[in-house]
Amino acid sequence: MKVLEVQNLSVQYHTGNGRKKVLDKISLSVKQGETAGIVGESGSGKSTAMLAVMGLLPENAEVTADEISVSGQRVIPGRDIAMVLQDSLSCLNPAVKIGRQITETIRAHKKCTRQEAKERAEELLEMAGIRDPKLRMRQYPFELSGGMRQRTAIAIALACEPKLIIADEPTTALDAAVQAQILRLLKRIVKDTDTSLLVVSHDMGVIAALCGRVFVMQSGRIIEQGAAEEIFYSPQQEYTKKLLRDTRGNRYLPAGSRDGEILLRLEHVTKVFGTKDGIRDISFDIRRGEVYALAGESGSGKTTLARILTGLLKPDSGVICYKGEKVEAAASARACRGKIQMVFQDPYGSLNPCLTAGQALSEALKAHGEMTSGERRKKAEEMLSLVGLSSEDADRYPEEFSGGERQRIGIARALISEPQLLICDEALSALDTATRSQILELILSIQRKKGIACLFISHDLPLIRKISSRISVLYRGRMAESGDTKEVCTDPWHPYTKLLLNAVPRPDLPTARKARPVLPAETVRGKEREEGCPFAELCGYTMECCRSGAPGLYSFGRRKIACFLYSEEHTGRRTKGYRMTSQI
Amino acid sequence: MREEAGSVKMRSYMAQLTRGSRQASAGCIILGVWVLLAVLVPLFWPWSYSEQNAELQNQAMSLTHLFGTDKFGRDIFARVWYGAGISLLIGTASALINACVGILYGVAAGYAGKYADMAMMRIADVIASVPSMLYVILITLTAGAGAGSIILGLCVAGWIDMARIIRGEIQRLKETDFAAAARMEGLSPLRILWRHLLPNAAGSILVNLIFLVPQAIFTEAFLSFLGVGLAAPSASLGTIIQEARSQMLVYPSQMICPLLVLCVMLLALNAVGTVAERQLRRGKSL
Amino acid sequence: MPGYTFKRLATGLVSLLVLVTVTFFLVRLIPGSPFQNGGVSGRVVEAVEEEYGLNEALFDQYLTYMGNLVQGDLGVSYQEPGTTVAEIIGRTWPVTVSLGLIALLVAVVLGTGLGILRAVSKRRIVREGIAAGGMLLAGIPNFAAAILLLFVFSVKLGWFPSAGLLTPAHYVLPVLSLALYPTAVISRLMGNTLAVEMGKQYVLFARAKGLGRGRIIFTHALKNAWIPVLNYVGPASAFLLTGSFVVESIYTIPGLGREFVSSITNRDYTLILGLTVFMGTVVIAVNLATDLICAWMDPGMRRSYSDK
Repeated sequence: MKVLEVQNLSVQYHTGNGRKKVLDKISLSVKQGETAGIVGESGSGKSTAMLAVMGLLPENAEVTADEISVSGQRVIPGRDIAMVLQDSLSCLNPAVKIGRQITETIRAHKKCTRQEAKERAEELLEMAGIRDPKLRMRQYPFELSGGMRQRTAIAIALACEPKLIIADEPTTALDAAVQAQILRLLKRIVKDTDTSLLVVSHDMGVIAALCGRVFVMQSGRIIEQGAAEEIFYSPQQEYTKKLLRDTRGNRYLPAGSRDGEILLRLEHVTKVFGTKDGIRDISFDIRRGEVYALAGESGSGKTTLARILTGLLKPDSGVICYKGEKVEAAASARACRGKIQMVFQDPYGSLNPCLTAGQALSEALKAHGEMTSGERRKKAEEMLSLVGLSSEDADRYPEEFSGGERQRIGIARALISEPQLLICDEALSALDTATRSQILELILSIQRKKGIACLFISHDLPLIRKISSRISVLYRGRMAESGDTKEVCTDPWHPYTKLLLNAVPRPDLPTARKARPVLPAETVRGKEREEGCPFAELCGYTMECCRSGAPGLYSFGRRKIACFLYSEEHTGRRTKGYRMTSQI
Repeated sequence: MREEAGSVKMRSYMAQLTRGSRQASAGCIILGVWVLLAVLVPLFWPWSYSEQNAELQNQAMSLTHLFGTDKFGRDIFARVWYGAGISLLIGTASALINACVGILYGVAAGYAGKYADMAMMRIADVIASVPSMLYVILITLTAGAGAGSIILGLCVAGWIDMARIIRGEIQRLKETDFAAAARMEGLSPLRILWRHLLPNAAGSILVNLIFLVPQAIFTEAFLSFLGVGLAAPSASLGTIIQEARSQMLVYPSQMICPLLVLCVMLLALNAVGTVAERQLRRGKSL
Repeated sequence: MPGYTFKRLATGLVSLLVLVTVTFFLVRLIPGSPFQNGGVSGRVVEAVEEEYGLNEALFDQYLTYMGNLVQGDLGVSYQEPGTTVAEIIGRTWPVTVSLGLIALLVAVVLGTGLGILRAVSKRRIVREGIAAGGMLLAGIPNFAAAILLLFVFSVKLGWFPSAGLLTPAHYVLPVLSLALYPTAVISRLMGNTLAVEMGKQYVLFARAKGLGRGRIIFTHALKNAWIPVLNYVGPASAFLLTGSFVVESIYTIPGLGREFVSSITNRDYTLILGLTVFMGTVVIAVNLATDLICAWMDPGMRRSYSDK
């Protein structure tokens, strides 16, 4: 039986300067108990399509369709059909308690007393995997973590007792580990309640993990549809193939030797903030010409570390050496300024909207060396052509560029002062999949051509694995594990590294569908205990000693690991030739 | 390429402002006419604003005296435009001073951060928590009536809103990635401020500046109406209205004319300000 | 939260201190003596000044004044010998406060209503009409409004009485002329914030879960939109107090405002000082109260303080 039936849905917007067609006669249907997916890049119209189905588009949108129906009836939002949106923080009302937001939904659909609604709400929260629902009902959204908020949003969707849930990028804003939990939750709900699910995502991995049927959208049209197996194993359209190729990615050769001269060395660097993510006792070194990776999720302190390295923040303690010289005195700090540059995550926020591309680049030159404005201009144009833009682009303002082009300008700006070390702080994560691989290739080719070192900061372990020679994994501001990328990623020793590796949904059906060990539902947020291993609460291998003291960093050859599983007390006194192996 | 970023931004902003909306262009045209009249009428109008003439008392509107004459036989048309000029002058001058002080204070607080910022903002809170009109009245009483003391009074607390807004903007902009990039490039703080932060705050500054003018004009008119504003023989719209009040029942036009001129002036300023604010908000949300 | 309350209270107290000090010295610096009227000999002036303690060093006078102030003694009026400033305030404040409160109520109710209508009405003409009307009203200074209303409705049409404050009908014009501007401001604030809130994701989500439009506006969007309005109550009370200067003189209402204006004309320094201190205190207190209410009511704001 078909739950959702959409025939020839078209949407056009009336804007100040004419009409703009966003959707062109799309048709799709979802059967009962089925999980279908719509995949496409941003701007392909997939979210618009979902809002049009729900009837929630703004007034300036003109919707035409031969049929939009849910179980044969006209769509009324909330009746038989519910929606989960991407950003759980902004889709829950910040001024209304969680409990109210659920009970009002229940009472909008069913006549019942406040008490009954409350009991039902607690049930729903429990069903969505939230522990202690009584407490949560009394809290405001900002008191919950991102994962819990998304669970709450799902509970609210369930409160409509829908036949179909539309989930619009349900996990995009979440960390990999939490994403895996939410995906599992969605799967379980479909199985338990026989609800249909329509997932909208740009991520082939998410689609692979959930969906039985897939619709591929490109610029307002559905260009391919079929069972997941068909789409993943024998895609017909060039676009689908490209999408799959982009997410699977090419294999890059890790560049640079790990035995070169040490460019930058960090020893026991610590920076603690009141509430924000600090870092504690971080040590590693980056060698000339290598790609070094820092992996960690949000809250791991990787951005703090980047800011310390670029001199924007001063560490509380610890030493940073650049080419063997301590970066401390103002003179040497200035000398190494400009030798370490950064590419930022957000291509929209990292360029000054008031400066043209050329101005932004020559501004970067102004700080060092005496150059005439003509020379600066020439250099700026050179840089722009290096990153694949034309010299006319120098006179354009950032708002005239696309996200990918802006990121190119950001790279040009970072490179123009000829740095020795380029830090890429999640430089790809705000971009589309296709743009992402272009920018990555650009960075890597420049890195190789110029022989500069690159510190690649990312939460995306599979990506890091492909490009870096050495890696450090951070968790809550502490080093969890570090070593050669190949070793760490094929044979993780730290439980957290293993979790990270497993959590990312891969765009391969068998791996994505296999049930994986996932973190238990989150407990209390931010209650990081000062003493004890930061990962102890979530770790499957927690021992007595994990809660009482933080593990030191144990070295085994090039590999370092902070986990009691590898301590002398645990593994026993080792003979000289002892070879440590993974304990998990 | 050689142009300063701020001015380019500002010009495109103004262009947008006037092109985009009928309301704004109407406001600007009215303001232009008002300024022209305020400059030209005292120069070329045959009657003087202060010359008393016992034979021409309380005349009705006519072609020779467009707005009639007052109880001392002075030509009201001349007086009104002279007064409008004074009002505009006081409004613009105090708005500019307030804007400068506010920008400097806000930039200092926002850029310094931490304790200096906290101390400066607490001081601003303290000054702002007393109604500024009371200060203005007391200062004009103490310093004596006159344009100077009114401007002084207006500047005691008038800069605070601007300072708060600029501080917020600077704090926000300071944390942006492009500011971080500029610091990474090793640019001096002053250059970062001038080239990267302030141009981005230009919109907010402009909107606030536009709104400061009608506020100041209103306050001046209010004071003059109370009788603590300008001293004779100089006159502002407020004083003219106040003088006509005693004869309101007999010769209402003597009061209606300056009132209308004042209201239209404030309205035009508000209209331009509102449009600027809307444009700014739209620009930010994009 | 207690930390915030304490800090805010401390700021309020400092404001009060600064207010009293600045006012005191400014008033003492006003040139000339209040007793130097024509026909009084210099000896008499000196004697009177001695009686009022005006010949002492300025700082000693300040200390005396502060000492008396703490005990609630604001001094004696120069122009009405024998009447204390406290008595004058006690006589006049109920009139002004009742006017002000009614005007505030009218402004809040009317302004909020119009603001909501402006933000959510589906008819363009309603939205733009309210916006234009608000701008028009905000451009009319309160004294101009008072005069025009008096002229049209009292003198020409004779619908309402023009002076005094005896019957409810007497209240209509003064309240209207006081409330016009705050109404315009509140409707603009409300309209703008509510329009922004209505565009947010949580409203979309609330629609998606099947709530009605009215419910979304009143139980969701308004909860996030009323803070700016409450914040405006402080400035509005200052505006109403100073507005009472002109409105009360135009409508001959025996309130604080008219007393203040006449004290200025009479150069009655203790009265100016006392009234300024009193009105300043009221405004500081209102500001303090609204800030604290905002902090208590707004969970987001509470969070930002508990984080610190």
